[in-house]
Amino acid sequence: MTRATESRLGGHASTIERTGDSLPYGDERHLTAHRWLVDEAYLLDAQDYDAWLALVTDDVHYLMPVRVTTARAAGYDVSPGMAHFDENRYSLSRRVARFQTEHAWTEDPPSRLRHHITNVRTFATPDPDHLVADSAVLLYRSRGDVREPALISAGREDLLRRQDGRWLLARRRILVDDAVLRTQNLAIFL
Amino acid sequence: MQLPFDAAAVRRGMIPAHIYNDAEVFALERERLFSRAWVFVGHVSEIPDPGDYVVRQVLADSFIVARGEDGEVRAMFNMCLHRGMQVCRAEMGNASHFRCPYHGWSYRNDGRLAGLPFHRDAYGGEEGFPRQGRTLLPAPALDTYNGLIFISLDEDAPPLRAYLGDFAFYLDYYTRQSPTGIELSGPQRWRIKANWKIGAENFAGDMYHTPHTHTSVVEIGLFREPKAEKRKDGATYWAGNGGGTTYKLPPGSLEERLSHVGYPDPMIETMKKTWSRGQLDVVGRDGFMVSAASLFPNLSLVHNWPRVEESDDVLPFISIRTWQPIGPDETEVLSWFAVDAGAPEDFKALSYKAYLMCFGSTGMFEQDDVENWVSLTHTAGGSMARRLQLNSRMGLRPDDTPLVPALPPEEFAGPGEARVGYGEYNQRHLLNRWLDHLEREVSA
Repeated sequence: MTRATESRLGGHASTIERTGDSLPYGDERHLTAHRWLVDEAYLLDAQDYDAWLALVTDDVHYLMPVRVTTARAAGYDVSPGMAHFDENRYSLSRRVARFQTEHAWTEDPPSRLRHHITNVRTFATPDPDHLVADSAVLLYRSRGDVREPALISAGREDLLRRQDGRWLLARRRILVDDAVLRTQNLAIFL
Repeated sequence: MQLPFDAAAVRRGMIPAHIYNDAEVFALERERLFSRAWVFVGHVSEIPDPGDYVVRQVLADSFIVARGEDGEVRAMFNMCLHRGMQVCRAEMGNASHFRCPYHGWSYRNDGRLAGLPFHRDAYGGEEGFPRQGRTLLPAPALDTYNGLIFISLDEDAPPLRAYLGDFAFYLDYYTRQSPTGIELSGPQRWRIKANWKIGAENFAGDMYHTPHTHTSVVEIGLFREPKAEKRKDGATYWAGNGGGTTYKLPPGSLEERLSHVGYPDPMIETMKKTWSRGQLDVVGRDGFMVSAASLFPNLSLVHNWPRVEESDDVLPFISIRTWQPIGPDETEVLSWFAVDAGAPEDFKALSYKAYLMCFGSTGMFEQDDVENWVSLTHTAGGSMARRLQLNSRMGLRPDDTPLVPALPPEEFAGPGEARVGYGEYNQRHLLNRWLDHLEREVSA
């Protein structure tokens, strides 16, 4: 299934794709992308969403399809036409604004979050101002005293864009590893 | 048998808190409620073509809901007749046959046993073991309304239409905005550590929580309506086996009011041709627009009209969901996005966006609801909860007379009983039906 058929709302997003093999780990571009992802993880852990929103482009597309269990021969494993997140900058900004009100009860008291980022690899694109980065994320989310923590495991494909000398997130596709989420909501970002 | 809680208190609107987290109560719900009630399992638009199937649960029982080569929709118990394996382990797809992975028995997509390996050597062929007449166990009862597929584990269940009763009048607002009806996307599925009844009660009638729980969505400009003063002008209604909430719309014609919640003109024209006089009058004459609703026991619907872009326009969306019980303290939510199949494509896309922003796994309304329900469920599992009866008497005086009269037909054209303002009439209706089932023993 192509990205276009996975999302009803991603028509505005950049369509730049990766080229060639993953970059060597010593490559400056890989180091840049890896550092960017780690810095972002700290912002998400701290729920510093203002700073996080400053790292996304105006044309960002932030997509997390719903995964489904299908036969191997089916040829698809995401729900046709349904996602958990299918966001542009406006909807992301509303989510961030909500967390900043005093009435977003689900995150007050806040979850304790840890985004573990690993398996990072970076690809060049036809445009030197764009890089594609793959990563795996394991989110540990703990609430209250002894409630069972929630774990969310996912793969991500990001498109990073250099704009005015800074790298920003232009596109993210989150491929979650559960068909049925075992967390009370997605009042977090991956 | 004596019920393990104070049933008389439930009838008075005083709810023993432990019913929201009690293994004994849950066992009774399995035995006496979910063994009989009509349970929503999907919509025909999810399986449009022959061979299309989805797999859905009623409590622990798995059913393959499939469209056969003959176009007929069936629900078949997902257990091989031979050694009991699940013959379908995917949750959706298209198949002409389901083949058991254990010994290879295979079934057509209408449930008929098609083949078994070594039929002659192992069973003596067709004379020794006729395939004729053997099928996966069909759901004891299956029926549809506006394409919504329900099954019941009781083969003597009343016809679905009779079970819905006058709630069908309101169900049409969500599922029949045109003769084509709705199409569903999803579901999103996630598990919450909350009892299934809480969500069903909340959607049935809890207008009182909206201004408080959902303050944040007003503050960020997502939704203009939940403000306390707006919500209490709405009416709740109960009809047949379901009930719901409404918003009071500003003065205007039918067209202006439908347009106020964001429906484009072509859709309004279609609604005018599709809905009955009474259905049109609730909106156009009386000024009420449906919002959340529940059909007993565990199907809920919601219709809201948030702002989805940087503009003053609002866009309506519809969601359908089930609160599928997993255990006394755990529920799997299946939440679908629904939209009129004949709606313009750009409307469908924005309506989908409105859904994602408001409800479902990431919805900004829903996030705060679930936080409350998880907390309630956890507390209901302790021993102090056995000493507490929760007050669900809103809208009743001490002598059980209602605080406000039911709306007369000239002010509310819909069937059933409707009242303006805050009240827990519907939550009491829902729990009374729940109690009706729990009090009725299952005949041996």
